[in-house]
Amino acid sequence: MLAIIKKELKSYFYTPIGYIFIALFMIVVSFVFYGFTFTQRYLNFEYIIWDSTLVLTFIIPVLTMRMFAEEKKSGTDQLLMTSPKSIVSIVLGKFFAATLVVVCALLLMFIYYGILRYFGNVSLIEPLVAMLGFLLLAMSYISFGMFASSITENQVIAAVISIAFFFIINFLQNYQGIVEIFSLVSMYQKFPQGIIALKEVVGYISFILLFVILTIIVLQRRKSVK
Amino acid sequence: MIELQNVTKKYGNFVAVNNVSFKIEEGEIVGFLGPNGAGKTSTMNMITGFIEPTDGKIIVNDYEISKNPKKAKRQIGYMPENVPLYLELTVKEFISYMADLKLVKRKERKAEVERVIKITGLEEVKSKLIRSLSRGYKQRVSLAGALVGNPPILILDEPTVGLDPIQVTEIRSLIKSLKKQHTILVSSHILSEISQMCNKIIIIDKGTILRIDSTDEIEKTTNDSTEILVTVEDPDNKFSVINRTITSISKIELIEENDKEKTYKVDYSGDTDIRKTLFKECAKQDITIIEMKKKQSSLEDAFLKITEEGGKE
Repeated sequence: MLAIIKKELKSYFYTPIGYIFIALFMIVVSFVFYGFTFTQRYLNFEYIIWDSTLVLTFIIPVLTMRMFAEEKKSGTDQLLMTSPKSIVSIVLGKFFAATLVVVCALLLMFIYYGILRYFGNVSLIEPLVAMLGFLLLAMSYISFGMFASSITENQVIAAVISIAFFFIINFLQNYQGIVEIFSLVSMYQKFPQGIIALKEVVGYISFILLFVILTIIVLQRRKSVK
Repeated sequence: MIELQNVTKKYGNFVAVNNVSFKIEEGEIVGFLGPNGAGKTSTMNMITGFIEPTDGKIIVNDYEISKNPKKAKRQIGYMPENVPLYLELTVKEFISYMADLKLVKRKERKAEVERVIKITGLEEVKSKLIRSLSRGYKQRVSLAGALVGNPPILILDEPTVGLDPIQVTEIRSLIKSLKKQHTILVSSHILSEISQMCNKIIIIDKGTILRIDSTDEIEKTTNDSTEILVTVEDPDNKFSVINRTITSISKIELIEENDKEKTYKVDYSGDTDIRKTLFKECAKQDITIIEMKKKQSSLEDAFLKITEEGGKE
């Protein structure tokens, strides 16, 4: 798995993709930061994080669209799938590599926390918990984006499926019942208040597991169907 | 050792590989021959575990690929068709990643990567991005990827496709030099290539194995040829009726004509070579022979013959 994480990170940062992701993320975060701090004079970093979650809808597909679609199109999946590595470790490797890119972006975002801290008295707990939630949300998006990438060999289609799905999720807020597992955005609400609620954490993890497993199934099945 | 037992692969209703069985012993270099779409790549993909057979068993060095994929895959170095590579990596990074994937131990990795770079002649370009390499080098990088970790079995799918003649010769001699340490299955639709490299040939067409034999035996298939090609200068057109005097000639066919020279294909029956008789007769009739040769059987002919016969059944 480590080998795959390493290679994937190289691929992110040897190509523009990693930089595009982080740049887009930072642009949006900067705007949000400017809006809250300078226009409305809020000092709550957790709200900045909260508002920045919307950008994940558009930028997570940048990371995930190529994951398996590109490998399939260029035939490099033959190298992966004929190696002694198991499909599980391949999928997890790719998943964690994308997660690490998000972690990089989050660390950069923390610069803004430093600025706020320098000028004012801001608490640390809420921002940290909000970031944890942000990471869980991003990981959920990554798992779906990865799944979308595994079902097609066209990156654009993978991206479109992901964006469409994330959009729908944004509209699913505050619905009850079975769709609750998909209402990722409303699950986020408690994190900026500094609360790590078991229900929400379990919700995110179940969502992540669901699509990681679905990706594994798709790849496994492709071996016998293809 | 590679063994296939009644392996079948279906894509929907289409049967790509039909009940194929063969065994390749250790140290053999075997050519896998067939026209495009014969099922070569499908078969190779099944041996390497990239796809699963619909039916049948594949055993690689005592490990069954469906039951023990990890161990079976460790036995194999695979160079897929169309040389898939990670273009954004350098040659060294790519080979090192392949070593990683193939579970080469961390301590040995560096030395192993260097070894493979050396034998594939990639030293000059090892720090270059794969994207910037020529086709010939890319092919070598792909081969290096298959070789890393020193797997006992190599599966090479059309390793010389798309190369210029010089590169073809280079890759070919490279593969030949690997012969001693590895069991090799190499596919191609270029027959001369196979006859140069391999000592055993498997001919496949439409998913069915038509023949498994040594290269020499297969070439002999058409050796009972009773055709002679004669080019003559014959202004009076006497050659076309030479079968009146040499009765064992069954058929004379004009196949080419330019200026004064005519080329005929002469079929004859019986075991005795008629070239001597033909020569004397032509001299008698004042026909000048420019060139005369018995049609040489080649792997091409053998292949055509075998696939034709296979198609008729």
